[in-house]
Amino acid sequence: MKTTKTIFQDGNHKWVAIVRDPEKPNYLIDTNEYLVTYGGKGLLLDPGGAEIFPSVFSALSADFDPTALAGIFASHQDPDVCSSLALWLDFNPAMRCYISWMWSSFVPHFGGNAETFVQIPDEGIDISLDGLSLKAIPAHYLHSSGNFNLYDKVAKVLFSGDVGAALLPPGMDGLFVENFDAHIRHAEGFHKRWMGSNEAKRRWCERVSQMDVDMLCPQHGAIYRGADVQRFISWFDELQVGVISA
Amino acid sequence: MTATSIMTAKTPAAGTDLLQIVHINEEIKRVVGVSVKINIMALNAIFLAKRAGTAALGFGVLSNELRVFSQDLRTCMESLNGLIHACVNQVSIGLKGIRTGRLLSEAARLAPQQPAVARILQDHKREIERRDQQLTILRRQLKGALEDVFQMVELGGVLAKSAKIEAAYGQSFAASLAQVSGEFDGVVEEIRGSLEALRRSAFFTGNRNNWRG
Ligand SMILES: [Fe+2]
Ligand SMILES: [Fe+2]
Repeated sequence: MKTTKTIFQDGNHKWVAIVRDPEKPNYLIDTNEYLVTYGGKGLLLDPGGAEIFPSVFSALSADFDPTALAGIFASHQDPDVCSSLALWLDFNPAMRCYISWMWSSFVPHFGGNAETFVQIPDEGIDISLDGLSLKAIPAHYLHSSGNFNLYDKVAKVLFSGDVGAALLPPGMDGLFVENFDAHIRHAEGFHKRWMGSNEAKRRWCERVSQMDVDMLCPQHGAIYRGADVQRFISWFDELQVGVISA
Repeated sequence: MTATSIMTAKTPAAGTDLLQIVHINEEIKRVVGVSVKINIMALNAIFLAKRAGTAALGFGVLSNELRVFSQDLRTCMESLNGLIHACVNQVSIGLKGIRTGRLLSEAARLAPQQPAVARILQDHKREIERRDQQLTILRRQLKGALEDVFQMVELGGVLAKSAKIEAAYGQSFAASLAQVSGEFDGVVEEIRGSLEALRRSAFFTGNRNNWRG
């Protein structure tokens, strides 16, 4: 089963990371899910694949009533991001799924209907969680062509989806990046191969470097905090992406 | 038996159902193919009877009847497509439901403190039972439709046998008429064989009503 770690708390405003399932079979990529709660409501970010639903569900429900989930934010359309959608909707059929307009007719293959999806336009939107304003920040082509991050300016937390993702070797499973140089080696190949546009990457770096971010939370690997956030942005800015040797 | 083991135990049955439907569909396509063959054979037999003149009047009438039979048979077999499609649909939904059931059961096991999971698992089971009942109805309808075809083929068999008898009165054409009527008999038997195989399909005969527990 996965474990939950509260990474930010101010009263009932919380960010909870749902991470690291020792029982997860190796053929499934490891993912981090995040729950933002405010005023008794919750928004689940990149809820994960159908196969890990039991593990995410049980970890989440230990802290939070899953029927109080108001919505799901899906950074993009990948199966490791949102193929569990139908199962979450079983718990709350009225729940909304925020996703790029590009994927709003693709992701219903995982579940949901016409009422489920809130299409995010390319420039992003504000999502209100019981009055807490969360911003969908454009991160197109990083890696998906219709891709968003989610920013909470009160908590100063940026959920970055696949940006900042690292495929960590066994044993290196800390929740936070502790040694940037050692960590980033496990992110380099992924970013070079998965991220499709140097131009989009440059714009993302510009945008995010102007934001006040204490924690950058990727969907895979460890969380960057403090000075490592800017370190990551600079590293990413320098990296040539869209590279394939074949 | 736990909810999890019930859900997992069901997997092979639903998968087998889908495979059996595929076999049924292939057999239906075979019968449609043979019915086209009878149509062509009957056309040739009609021309042969015309050439034989008064000696093959009865044979000509029977050939006409066999032609009508082949067309009816084809229409009837093709009309089964809708039922087959509905069965595939139900079984596919069932297969998806098994996966959902497995994941919900696992969630219920890991989060026993959540009453919502047990409730949703119950709803899910009820939905699966409803789907099961629909599949049982479709199974019965398909079986009934195949029995109707079987009756039709019995009639085709009688026509082919009568054509064999009529061929004997064909004087100088008797040998060629006998050959044609023998071929009729052969293809009708072929259809009968296919229908017998369909009747025996485990999709109908197995104790399938409780394939989802
Ligand atoms: Fe992805
Ligand atoms: Fe991912």
